[in-house]
Amino acid sequence: MSHDRKRYGDTTLGNQEPSANEPAWLNELRASGREVHGRLGIPTPRHEDWKYTPLREVAETDWSPAEPGPALFEEPLPEFDSGAVRIVMVNGRLDRNLSNPGPLPGGLRIASIRDEIHSGNDAVLRSTLGRTGPKPTQTFDRQIVPDEHTFAALNDTLFEDGLVVYVAEGAKVDPLIEIVHVSHGGPEPSLVVPRILIVAEAGSRCKLVETYVTRGNGPSLTVPVTEVVVRTGADVEHVRLQDEDAGALHIANWQTAQESGSTYTSFNVCFGGRLARVDQGIWIGGAGTRTRLDGVVVANGDQHMDNHTRLDHAFPSGESFEIYKQIADDRAHVVFNGKIFVHQDAQKTDAKQTNQALLLAPGAVVDSKPQLEIFADDVKCTHGATVGQLEDLPLFYLRSRGMPRNRAEAVLVYAFAADVLEEITIEPVRKALEARLFEKLAVASR
Amino acid sequence: MLEIRDLHASVTEDGREILKGLNLRAQAGEVHAIMGPNGSGKSTLANVIAGRETYEVTQGDVLLDGESLVELDPEERAHKGVFLAFQYPVEIPGVSNTYFLRASVNALREARGEPEMGSAEFLKMMREKVKLLGLSDDMLQRSVNEGFSGGEKKRNEIFQMAVLEPRLCVLDETDSGLDIDALQVVANGVNALRTPDRAFVIVTHYQRLLNFIVPDFVHVLMNGRIVRSGGRELALELENQGYGWLEAEVAAGSQA
Ligand SMILES: Nc1ncnc2c1ncn2[C@@H]1O[C@H](COP(=O)(O)OP(=O)(O)OP(=O)(O)O)[C@@H](O)[C@H]1O
Ligand SMILES: [Mg+2]
Repeated sequence: MSHDRKRYGDTTLGNQEPSANEPAWLNELRASGREVHGRLGIPTPRHEDWKYTPLREVAETDWSPAEPGPALFEEPLPEFDSGAVRIVMVNGRLDRNLSNPGPLPGGLRIASIRDEIHSGNDAVLRSTLGRTGPKPTQTFDRQIVPDEHTFAALNDTLFEDGLVVYVAEGAKVDPLIEIVHVSHGGPEPSLVVPRILIVAEAGSRCKLVETYVTRGNGPSLTVPVTEVVVRTGADVEHVRLQDEDAGALHIANWQTAQESGSTYTSFNVCFGGRLARVDQGIWIGGAGTRTRLDGVVVANGDQHMDNHTRLDHAFPSGESFEIYKQIADDRAHVVFNGKIFVHQDAQKTDAKQTNQALLLAPGAVVDSKPQLEIFADDVKCTHGATVGQLEDLPLFYLRSRGMPRNRAEAVLVYAFAADVLEEITIEPVRKALEARLFEKLAVASR
Repeated sequence: MLEIRDLHASVTEDGREILKGLNLRAQAGEVHAIMGPNGSGKSTLANVIAGRETYEVTQGDVLLDGESLVELDPEERAHKGVFLAFQYPVEIPGVSNTYFLRASVNALREARGEPEMGSAEFLKMMREKVKLLGLSDDMLQRSVNEGFSGGEKKRNEIFQMAVLEPRLCVLDETDSGLDIDALQVVANGVNALRTPDRAFVIVTHYQRLLNFIVPDFVHVLMNGRIVRSGGRELALELENQGYGWLEAEVAAGSQA
């Protein structure tokens, strides 16, 4: 890594050389990552997609790839369900001691990406890793093309290990799959590049929760890429919680590809980090799919939380529902950008997007931008966005029953966000997130 | 218990005066019915008693046991025993009825320096009151008023009243939109709470309710003032003749 003085605007992070020990497909992935990240670098606010995301610190810090973390952590790691298949990753590497997968249920395979590559058992990786994004399609007069993600590209070039979750055809996995990711910052600024691939084969079913936390007190930048493939008729519920420390930087890509008749239910819960950006993309690559992409974002202090979603309906009869609820207190800044493309062949698409933001302090800022582009004529697409303060009437109702003003406000703010968490069907996860939301808001409302 | 003296109140936002010198006294143990045409200020009165900040008291006073309520927050009024059953009960998605009630009960207890009510005791009390109002378990688990029918919302208001045991109960058109059975249930709920230490102010358009909850006094509110007070026969008179004759009388009176 370069040690020249870094300048915002012409910086890249990391520049790993091709390795002779790696299989050809990985060399290719790394080469394309190098090309994309080398070309785009760290985007400045001049870049439309990065207009609000303050990346100066990311660009100007000398990041070193994170060392393997400690064997144990003083502060316990989150655990939602003691019956879960529990996987702990530390600084992007599978940690066998902290993990507790138990006896794996039939049809479920969990492996380290590094092991898969070294043992040559890499057929799934070879065919899917880095290939879950949207495919270009032609409309009447223009092409709809995938976005290039400079940080996903960076992850492509740098990841050393990661996790593969593989659910075999027809397997119904009952226990929750709980993936805890710990970024442990050393004394030097640490760059952490977690990589997760989840493949649910045809007709299978599973439920996952992915949690990101930080430990240690050095600065850290976590750049995760999670890819999910939901094959024909499969059903995946996926909760992602980002609950890193208030100083952490987090820039994530989360990309899902759905095949025909599949169901994908996702929840993006953002509580932590100083700067947290998630780009979530869903590629509807088959007919008759059901998709949910919900978000709960709670920011206070000086937190900046930036969520960009892109949903590509490329095949007919897809049903999608998206609701983002965002709360900003103090001087926090929350950004939501929700793109929906309904491609020319995606007749009978039914897509609904809602975005609601609650501003709790005069210094808090919300920017939200829905962006629907529809190239098919027989579709139902709606979107709605509201930004506001707590309503006067519900507040009066609660207070008239004796609840003090600050508690009534806390209850209403809680309810605003809990409304989305209620949709999570994994009960221990829902309950834990509700409790965590309460805790976070108690801080937020002083 | 309740004394309202020369009350003037306007909409805070635009200063439009709605209550224009209203007087009313209610003693403990009494039930007062308030009737009056649409838009005469009945709900405004109810909301002003409960402390809604949408309205500003510009003159006069509202006293509870001789103490002015006007400067108090809505929650402080609730702590002193004021309760308003809303004309349009508010839906609060994401907050369960049970949580809401328990938080309210304990907020009242806290304000009065009493210990928090344990969950066993709370559940037991809920079960008793639920029977009284015929609410289903499902309604208790659901979010406050969310997706409740009009009648269910009204029953839920009286249920809250039964649980919170206020001293001054203000009911704003709790009977509107109720079928005859629900009306009976609500009336039973109210009658069960009729005690010598509690007063009721009941806003209604219909004499029918007053067959079930027999009032001690009936008042007519018109254009921001009480223009006539009497016994329950006044309600019958209004039912038969409407408000026209009173309007004419009031107009004549103010000219004289
Ligand atoms: N917040 C407000 N802003 C503006 N005008 C208001 C407001 N609240 C009440 N008013 C007006 O004050 C008058 C009295 O309203 P109020 O709701 O008290 O009438 P009411 O007697 O309860 O009528 P109803 O029998 O229809 O319930 C009406 O003209 C109403 O439009
Ligand atoms: Mg009214």
